Amino acid sequence: MPVVGDSDPTGTSGRPDGARERNALLFAQFHDRSISQGSRLAARDGLVALHLPLVEHCARRFRNRGEPFEDLVQVGTIGLIKSIDRFEVDRGVEFSTYATPTIIGEIKRHFRDKGWAIRVPRRLQELRMQIGTAAAELTQTLGRSPTPRELAEVIGCSVEDIVEAIESSNAYSTLSLDAADDGGDNGGASMLEIMGFDDEELEQIEIRESIKPLLEALPSREKRILLLRFFKNKTQSEIAAEIGVSQMHVSRLLSRTLDQLRTSLQETV
Amino acid sequence: MDKPAPEKADISLRVPADGAYVSVLRTMTAGLAARLDFTVDDIEDLRIAVGEACAMILPEAVAGGDLEAEFRQTPGTLTISVRVPTSGRTEPDYESFAWQVLSTLSAQATASAEDHLLQITFTTDSSLALSRGLPGAGA
Repeated sequence: MPVVGDSDPTGTSGRPDGARERNALLFAQFHDRSISQGSRLAARDGLVALHLPLVEHCARRFRNRGEPFEDLVQVGTIGLIKSIDRFEVDRGVEFSTYATPTIIGEIKRHFRDKGWAIRVPRRLQELRMQIGTAAAELTQTLGRSPTPRELAEVIGCSVEDIVEAIESSNAYSTLSLDAADDGGDNGGASMLEIMGFDDEELEQIEIRESIKPLLEALPSREKRILLLRFFKNKTQSEIAAEIGVSQMHVSRLLSRTLDQLRTSLQETV
Repeated sequence: MDKPAPEKADISLRVPADGAYVSVLRTMTAGLAARLDFTVDDIEDLRIAVGEACAMILPEAVAGGDLEAEFRQTPGTLTISVRVPTSGRTEPDYESFAWQVLSTLSAQATASAEDHLLQITFTTDSSLALSRGLPGAGA
């Protein structure tokens, strides 16, 4: 396999040009039927690695929409691989121009498929969107909500399909609090029963927040002992060895510090 | 499917008295209502009403009992009854959220408790039939 990468004859050109040359070289190899399959696949891998930042760039546009960034990069990479396989160098288009819509399309498809609480066949998802549009228009013209028959006539499908699509949209909607769980496995548990309650640990937050300033005020040696004992989980003897005092002394310091904290906490609360 | 429903067409459905089967009833209801030319909004209301009616009676059902549903269709109107066997006599809870929703969504809702039986019946009219000023008349 020929060496690729720093083959830029000018040597001094900036990184974008280097990347462009590398891109052209890798595509030439990838499409070169005279070299071994392995080399061509290696070139393909190189192309994926080279354009991965493009995927990350596209995925970043969809951050904060409830899907992990890594997942978006992963599906976006599928889009990248597809566009590498389909890209035709002769067309004279920049690869990034060609790949970006494919990558974004793949990410959008991920959202479309994952956005539903229950996976619904795409045919029904699309029909449901058609129904949404048609229903809005019909509601305007009729002055009331349309019937499935009217929707079926406008869209050009059967009444059956309409009912099925409306049924599927249930995957998005919510249930009554009293309604039993449809899950089946533990059937009968109502929504109300499985809803959250106040975490008992909540009270601990208050204590933790009150104790913070008290801890800050401790002398550094005492603070260190507390840290070693309760956070690093060291024994008193280990702490004694580390600080250079006797185990008995550590014990005394610990109990005194804890007593102090307890009293000051009771004063503040 | 495109022919209007016959004058008398009652349908009964018996499923295990388990929350998992409520969706079957809801789907069945939607299918029937579509046949009767209920509007999409009506159908959505009906689906919710069925869910609420079941939510009211299912907790009272004896273990292993069946939930029986009956659908009586007349042009422009659908009457649905759901019932479960209970141990002894269980009064329906008229204060419950489910009952509030059910009575709001239906034209008429009644609950009846007998020995070993709890039943809820509710009637819904197609708003299409109503808007044509022909309540109960064919669409």
